Amino acid sequence: MSTIRTSCPIRQQADSAAAPATGPTQRPRRRRSASILGTMMVAALLAAGCSGGSSGGSASGTDGRTNPTPSIAPVLADGALPRFPEGTVVRLVAHDSFAVSSDVLDEFTALTGATVEYLPSGDAGTMVNAAILTKDDPQGDVLFGIDENLLARAFDEGLFQSYTAAGLDTVPMSYRVDDQHRVTPIDHGDVCVNFDRSWFADRGLAVPGDLRSLTDPQYRSTLAVEDPSSSTPGLSFLLATIATFGGGEDTGANPAWLQYWRDLKANDVSVVDSWETAYYSSFSGSSGEGDRPLVVSYASSPPAEVVDTTVPADASPTGVIAPTCYRQIEFAGVLSGAKEPRAAAALIEFMLMKHFQQDMPEQMYVYPVVEGATLPEAFSKYTTPVAEPLTLPFDVVAADRERWVAQWASVFR
Amino acid sequence: MGVSVPLTRRIPGRLLLAIPPVVFLALFFVWPVVAILERGLRPAGHWELQPILGVMQDPAILRVLWFTIWESVLSTVLCVLVGLPGAALFARFRFRGRRLLWALLLVPFVLPTVVAGLAFLMLIGPSGVTGVDLAGSIWAILIAHVFFNYAVVVRTVGSAWASLGDDEVDAARTLGASPMRALLTVTLPRLRSALLAAASIVFLFSFTSFGIVMILGGVRQRTLEVEIYDQTARFLHLDTAAALAILQLVGVVAVLFLFGRARSRGSSQGAGGTSGGNARKARTPGERVFVVVNVGFMALFLGGPIAVLVLRSLWTSKGWGMGAYAALGSSRRGSTSFVAPLDAVGNSVRFALATMVISVLLGCCAAWALGRRGHGGRGGAASSHRRRAGRVLDSLTEGFLMIPLGTSAVTVGFGCLIALADPPLELRSSTWMLPIAHSVIALPFVVRLLVPAVRSIDPELREVASLLGASRTRVWTTVDLPLLRRQIAVAAGFAFAVSLGEFGATSFLVRAHDVTVPIAIYRALGRPGGDNLSQAMALAVILMVVIAAVVVVIDRLRPQTSAEF
Repeated sequence: MSTIRTSCPIRQQADSAAAPATGPTQRPRRRRSASILGTMMVAALLAAGCSGGSSGGSASGTDGRTNPTPSIAPVLADGALPRFPEGTVVRLVAHDSFAVSSDVLDEFTALTGATVEYLPSGDAGTMVNAAILTKDDPQGDVLFGIDENLLARAFDEGLFQSYTAAGLDTVPMSYRVDDQHRVTPIDHGDVCVNFDRSWFADRGLAVPGDLRSLTDPQYRSTLAVEDPSSSTPGLSFLLATIATFGGGEDTGANPAWLQYWRDLKANDVSVVDSWETAYYSSFSGSSGEGDRPLVVSYASSPPAEVVDTTVPADASPTGVIAPTCYRQIEFAGVLSGAKEPRAAAALIEFMLMKHFQQDMPEQMYVYPVVEGATLPEAFSKYTTPVAEPLTLPFDVVAADRERWVAQWASVFR
Repeated sequence: MGVSVPLTRRIPGRLLLAIPPVVFLALFFVWPVVAILERGLRPAGHWELQPILGVMQDPAILRVLWFTIWESVLSTVLCVLVGLPGAALFARFRFRGRRLLWALLLVPFVLPTVVAGLAFLMLIGPSGVTGVDLAGSIWAILIAHVFFNYAVVVRTVGSAWASLGDDEVDAARTLGASPMRALLTVTLPRLRSALLAAASIVFLFSFTSFGIVMILGGVRQRTLEVEIYDQTARFLHLDTAAALAILQLVGVVAVLFLFGRARSRGSSQGAGGTSGGNARKARTPGERVFVVVNVGFMALFLGGPIAVLVLRSLWTSKGWGMGAYAALGSSRRGSTSFVAPLDAVGNSVRFALATMVISVLLGCCAAWALGRRGHGGRGGAASSHRRRAGRVLDSLTEGFLMIPLGTSAVTVGFGCLIALADPPLELRSSTWMLPIAHSVIALPFVVRLLVPAVRSIDPELREVASLLGASRTRVWTTVDLPLLRRQIAVAAGFAFAVSLGEFGATSFLVRAHDVTVPIAIYRALGRPGGDNLSQAMALAVILMVVIAAVVVVIDRLRPQTSAEF
């Protein structure tokens, strides 16, 4: 059903993603998944019919080449935010999880004279699709909270105008997935299996160390995951299994990753509709309602469970199994047709500044992307830094995600 | 009887009355829905039917369609069967706490599905306190549908039942009929339109069930509504989404047609409505048992999940107490995501009041346009085929007014985003968008509840009044309105509750400073940390208290002479 409209600009992206990323927080991938990624990218490029380095022209006619993405001139002057006329309002389209300290937002107004109007727009998928639907007459100026999985479609529809943020210099290369700068990375999170510490301690059972061990009979009936067709962390966990076990290019009934899911099913994995149900109803570690000591959640969840911060790290209620973590990056972009494009660009610059970046963890349970941003104590103490998160290139995900979900559904539905 | 003059004079008036509700739905329902369907099916300037054919030939979709149909039929039948004794209880008997219980019935109705779903999982989930695990089974879905829709049957049928006189039942009993026989042959036939009204609403709610099916149905059970949501909001496959929406529409229209047929077949519409107030204390031991068992059932069935919510809201990481309620006002202070609980309640109540006023006014117009007419079988100047044509037009209009209840919230919501974007109807970012969207959903309720009530008024009462020289307005205020107060109160309560609990369209149409309680609940639930669950539950409890208080007030607004509830 879905036509793959990957255009050539993305190919360059795919190349840069395939080459080892440079920069201080470079992410070495496991060898096995890297080779699979290579195969998948070749497949994606073939599917896109994008040959040669420069010949453009995609079927949609809305990509950057046939209809050049407008771009906004730099707004910072000597590293300082510009001032806007009294009464300037930047309308910020963001998902429901968006939050920032009011005084941080006030600082933006103090610096620029522009006020920010937040337009809540449902979850990230609904927000992006609603924005695409209204792109000729956008509701806002900036969109915040689009993740990698949703980028390809948004680019294809020409949702954003380019803006190369000066603040991007402080962001490691591994987060900069769009070299046309239609979107700017703002934060990242990692979707990981969380565990209930006391459940394992009480039984004298070791906490499983990786994805494979979750299929071990001794961990039978311990894991709760979210349906990848209805949940964002559920989709990320599905991608984690594809990045780990491979077979993403296999359209048949038995790719390696799907076999893993069959093993999970045989080990009585519980699949529920949403993060809310999994975390608050199935999981035993948070509020203690459920009977499953393992759940797919975020690397940032454990700090939120700690009420008393004098508790030592190895005694906190929950923890993270780092090798299961899949990286999610969230971006912001200036919408095409924005009424205040320069103020919108200024807001993006502001989002990359330390004050905003360091405010995000406790407000949105996500991590900063700029170098040198310090984490709140609870974050540095109670959760494991994810040094080697699993990843897949976003254009490959865009091309294959629906098929993967359908393959997954063939086992679980 | 010389009714030809008032009848003909009445026709233009009826048409005029129909204009406001029809225009309202045309602007705020038909236009947005057509706009979004057109995006899907006419992407390049010409209509494409391929997506529809594709959907019809997709076995997976057909399976979903089939599941949606039988799940909703079963839910409806179950809900009517379970609700009837409750309706009888309120119609026939007086007991301590009756008014409060009548108001409390509406409490489940406003609960956001995620909260109710979590409560059900705590009761009948894998680690539920009952020890019975129904999660992922059809039973969990059916039980939750009955839980949510119980009030629809009890309040709709119960209020109609209460307005039936005792005379005919007494006559049947005098002639030797058993109570059961009197119920089956006298009472139930006279309740036919109220029953069908309730059943059609329950059906539409179950047909478009989303959250409950997602949370309690496991991965295997999916309704058409879930598919439409996925195709629209997740994948933006507007072509497939449009085809599915049309499929849903066809299903809804077909069922409404069947309901309409069922109603028009029975013309034994009660001439009652004049008496009422015939509820009395239970006298015989059998009657006492009936009352006790009924109240006990409601306490357990409706009270169980609610008790779980209340208890959960009182438990925080620091132990039992009101900590979660206190934290609502403080824990996120200083963040843009902070919503003072009082502000959220204020926003919710404001929108619900506006929704109630809009939908009751429009619903009254529609009900009088559709309901006020001479009865079948009565002589008159209008020829029979003209009357029949009028009746067909009426049932078509009535069906049309019901359709919004059977349409996906995401279809209407996304439609509003593109259709209501430009002046003069640049409403998508206006504060009126929410009450309007909520009224589109509430209006079918009001119409469904009021039309049978208007029809049940004996036309002779009006005719006598106008023969005695009463003006049309006077007939309306002295005959119709007093007889309909009870049903208007019931409809207003539902309209208020529909708005108070709405989440689907609200989530992306709401403005930042207009955040409602259901939105605040979802935000709290979206954050990790066990205390956020307590706060979400605390907000849900506040929502329940608000609806109970408001319904008590609405029910009391009626004069005490006919005040049964």
